Amino acid sequence: MSTASGRAATDVATAPPGESPGSPAPRKTPTWSERWGRFDHKVVPYLLISPFFILFAVFGLFPLAFNGVVAFRRWSLRNPAADGWAGFDQFTRLIGDDRFWNALGNTFGIFFLSTVPQLFMALIIASLLNRRLRAQSFFRVGILLPYVTPIVASTLVFSQVFGRDYGLANWVLGFLGVTTELGGGIIIDGVDWRATKLTSWIAIALMVNWKWIGYNALLYLAAMQSIPKDVYEAAALDGAGAWTQLWKITVPMIRPMVLFTVVISTINGLQLFTEPMLFDTNPQSASGGTRGQFQTVGVLIYQTGWKNGNLGYAAAMSWALFLIIVVLASFNAFLANKLGGGKR
Amino acid sequence: MKWTRSRPASLLAVGAASALLLTACGGDGDPEPGANGGGGNDNGGDGEVTLSIAFWGDFGLGPLVEQYEAENEGVTIRLNEGEFNAQHESLQQNLIAGSGAPDIAAIDGDYIVQFREQGDQFVNLLDMGAGDYEGEYLEWKWQQSMTGDGAQIGLGTDVGGLAMCYRHDLFEEAGLPSDRDEVSALWPTWEDFIEVGQEYVEATGDRFIDNATNVFNPIMGQQPVGYFTENEELAMDGGPRVAFDLTTQMIDAGISAGIPAWSDEWNAGFANGDFAVLACPAWMTGHIRNMAPDTAGQWDIADIPGGGGNWGGSWLTIPAQGDNTQAAYDFVEWLIQPEQQIAIFNNVGNLPSQPALYEDPAIQEHTDEFFNNAPTGQIFSATALGLEPQYIGRNAGPVRVEVENVLNDIQGGNVSAEEGWERAVSDAERAAMD
Amino acid sequence: MSTSGTAVTGDAPTTGMAGATPTKEIRPTDGSPRRKAALLGRSPQDTSAGFWNYLLLITAILGSAFPLYWMFVVATGTDATLARIPPQVVPGDNFLHNVGVVLGNVSEQGRSYANAQFASSMVNSVIVTTLVTAGMLFFCSLAGFAFAKLKFKGRDKLMVIVILTLTIPNQLGVVALYIIISQFGWEGQLVSVIVPGLVTAFGVFYMRQFIQDSVPDELIESARVDGASTFRVYWNLVLPIVRPALGVLGLLTAVGTWNEFQWALIALGGTDNKTIGVALSDLASGNYVRYRIVLAGSFLATLPLILLLFVAGKQIVRGIMEGAVKA
Repeated sequence: MSTASGRAATDVATAPPGESPGSPAPRKTPTWSERWGRFDHKVVPYLLISPFFILFAVFGLFPLAFNGVVAFRRWSLRNPAADGWAGFDQFTRLIGDDRFWNALGNTFGIFFLSTVPQLFMALIIASLLNRRLRAQSFFRVGILLPYVTPIVASTLVFSQVFGRDYGLANWVLGFLGVTTELGGGIIIDGVDWRATKLTSWIAIALMVNWKWIGYNALLYLAAMQSIPKDVYEAAALDGAGAWTQLWKITVPMIRPMVLFTVVISTINGLQLFTEPMLFDTNPQSASGGTRGQFQTVGVLIYQTGWKNGNLGYAAAMSWALFLIIVVLASFNAFLANKLGGGKR
Repeated sequence: MKWTRSRPASLLAVGAASALLLTACGGDGDPEPGANGGGGNDNGGDGEVTLSIAFWGDFGLGPLVEQYEAENEGVTIRLNEGEFNAQHESLQQNLIAGSGAPDIAAIDGDYIVQFREQGDQFVNLLDMGAGDYEGEYLEWKWQQSMTGDGAQIGLGTDVGGLAMCYRHDLFEEAGLPSDRDEVSALWPTWEDFIEVGQEYVEATGDRFIDNATNVFNPIMGQQPVGYFTENEELAMDGGPRVAFDLTTQMIDAGISAGIPAWSDEWNAGFANGDFAVLACPAWMTGHIRNMAPDTAGQWDIADIPGGGGNWGGSWLTIPAQGDNTQAAYDFVEWLIQPEQQIAIFNNVGNLPSQPALYEDPAIQEHTDEFFNNAPTGQIFSATALGLEPQYIGRNAGPVRVEVENVLNDIQGGNVSAEEGWERAVSDAERAAMD
Repeated sequence: MSTSGTAVTGDAPTTGMAGATPTKEIRPTDGSPRRKAALLGRSPQDTSAGFWNYLLLITAILGSAFPLYWMFVVATGTDATLARIPPQVVPGDNFLHNVGVVLGNVSEQGRSYANAQFASSMVNSVIVTTLVTAGMLFFCSLAGFAFAKLKFKGRDKLMVIVILTLTIPNQLGVVALYIIISQFGWEGQLVSVIVPGLVTAFGVFYMRQFIQDSVPDELIESARVDGASTFRVYWNLVLPIVRPALGVLGLLTAVGTWNEFQWALIALGGTDNKTIGVALSDLASGNYVRYRIVLAGSFLATLPLILLLFVAGKQIVRGIMEGAVKA
């Protein structure tokens, strides 16, 4: 494995004779050699790329298409007798399903609370990193701690931190004099984080922010470092402090990257699953709280398909979500093209 | 490019180190998963059999499995413990998928109808000779796991006859009677129970019961008709309404500590004395013991208000898709023998569903130090014998989950009792539909 | 994330639009004079970080590290120290006990957590991560090489397809994927989380860019003239050159695979072949939820990745920044 490239070339040069059309023609099997040569040129390239296309076809493309079929069928994990075509029934049901709209609202709410601060903070941190720094690697690697932490593990920590009775967050809030009254006159320090939409959204958004700020900061940093220095030299701003410089010069210069991260955050944020799933008091219930106050569409799909066993309906939901993502992502892509000045 | 040779080497070192850490600490985690050895179906020839058994909570299987493995060479048993509802859901999926089910699956009363309706997915235990044990079981327990066409899909483990666990020390501090007979006399009905609770709260400033769902479920168990009629019609206005109203009365009376069941805080609440009573079927006693070992001797057991009823209790079934159904049956048959059933009772408190065992001195004369030397054997035997079982609907499990959610919400002060009931009904209807 | 066509990095694909190239970082010129003048007209990279800059960055690092610290604190606690207000805020001395419990070696109050199969789940995750990473490196570099350096009919069109698949949020096919896996009889088996992740569009794309830029055509041609077969050229010539890229791709893949949860939960949940994430979610759901146990498990699940970051953090940073395209 330690072969240097130059050395490798000589290795190749001493490859077994007989395979090369240029070497003295081997008398025994000339046609074999020729056939091999042709095979090597015409067919082998396809062999090399085939694993990707086969796996993608079987596990990527086909499921997407097949998902469309399933959405029009009854497909129950609980009741095998429920079978056959459903036509548009499941889509009709979806339109009238409070839970779906509730989950969609939660998804957008959490998405908003997590994306905006996330990208903003990432910009700030990137600009802090975009300086002559001592211990540069330490800072860059350090902000990646959340990125390498399994989402399951970090969500469980936050779950403990946002615990109602013994959580760190409520202890701090209690210290500040915040209390909440529950049913039956029970008074607790802080708030019952999981109990209401806003508080649970904030908690979940915090987890998402924590996870991705550092990562996005590095993306922005990469973009910032590719800004030619003369741009700064040319832009003479009166009394420009670091803050003005960031917003007037740096951010416009990395706008394509900002919009790219917005698109990616849209795609990922709308599929949010692990955090809302595991934040529940009983994570396996996939109910997103006692009345779905923090159930996202991703969790609802899981609950519908695998908890309630209604795969057909879950497939219909997936398609609805897919459409929403496509619409939103293309809207963002459109924005990217417009605002980015058509730069691709 | 600073990717020098040392980098992959150090990466390898990290990988190796974590692998070492794992194997060193692996213990009885049985680290031989293998990419293909799923579902415990790996029949290694040579009479080597691995049986997987899926359950939840405390079945008291640990020591028994060790014993069985020692006595039966070549048999390895893998315990797959999971969350209560999730275990049933994944069993259902595996049955439909036709693969992935454990060799032995525990099924709770809430789900038994759902599964017995798919009787052909399970080994008919009568074909394995289980008919010999029919006379040993409580009749209803035997019947509940029978399919419509007379196949038997499961052998009963425990029953959940109801009693009330209480902290006699806390009762004493509150100026309440603490002797178990006197305590039983305090609350013939649930209304009396609420009054006692209010007295307790007034005297101590602490809460009386742990949460809403843990009184709702036992009250449900006492109703003549549960969520469903025998025609599988959802009957929310019958038993569920009664239990729901009593429960919300308790919340309004301020006697509930409002700590959601099975949560981390609930488990901590046992040790902290956050509540003084808890409806306990036999299987709950093991949980209390595990969660609050330091409160040994401070608990006692009295009658539950409102008469007899059942909450929980399970069967062991053998999905037909398994490769080792005979070996699985051998183990199940061994588990339901009197010695093992009594061992489980001693170990975790689960009361067998075989009434003959209730006469056995090991149960009849059993007293429990943790519960202030209460004669738990007698108490729980009596509750089990006095039971009139209700019909459990096919979708009782999912419906219960919905109602529990609503109750937790009322408890949290997020919805009024009236609105809550409306939601409970509509959510239950939806859950019954799926 | 588990199916082909998604980025290796888990939730956030690192690559950008077409034309991405692994670019070298632009570093501040070291010899630049340290001017004390105002910021006016000076590139931020040439500006030395001041006190506030460092303070804010250190705050950010502390914020990043705090949940991990808290994970450890809880993992070292006892029931008594955790279920109280104020909570325990410094590590206790119960860590080894809690770790022993979660691994099933130590039984607590007569109860063993061996059933949670935590230890075997760690082993499963090691197996899955190793195989997926190995598969990714092999198949992606193979395809990347073909796309970058071989001439064959339809090459460019096929490459466009690869790029298009980058954008498909294919978690959305998860219902159908589950049905397919069940048809194969793979449900509950590790193979169901390994095979769909063996090669991704991102990996192919990344390797293609790197190979295109870093392997000179002449080198390949001369090897060809000397009679080397295509595979030999790949194995003896290309692979050694692209080792840095393989390292980066491997790291990102390993992190993403180890952390994958949703598909693993669907495919492996409830069986006795779990990966680490599924085992953790079980621990947090059962009847015996104890955060000191749950978080001791979380800590064990996180530790290998922290060590990885410690050893190869610079490479991971580089991978992310290179993947980040100057769009």
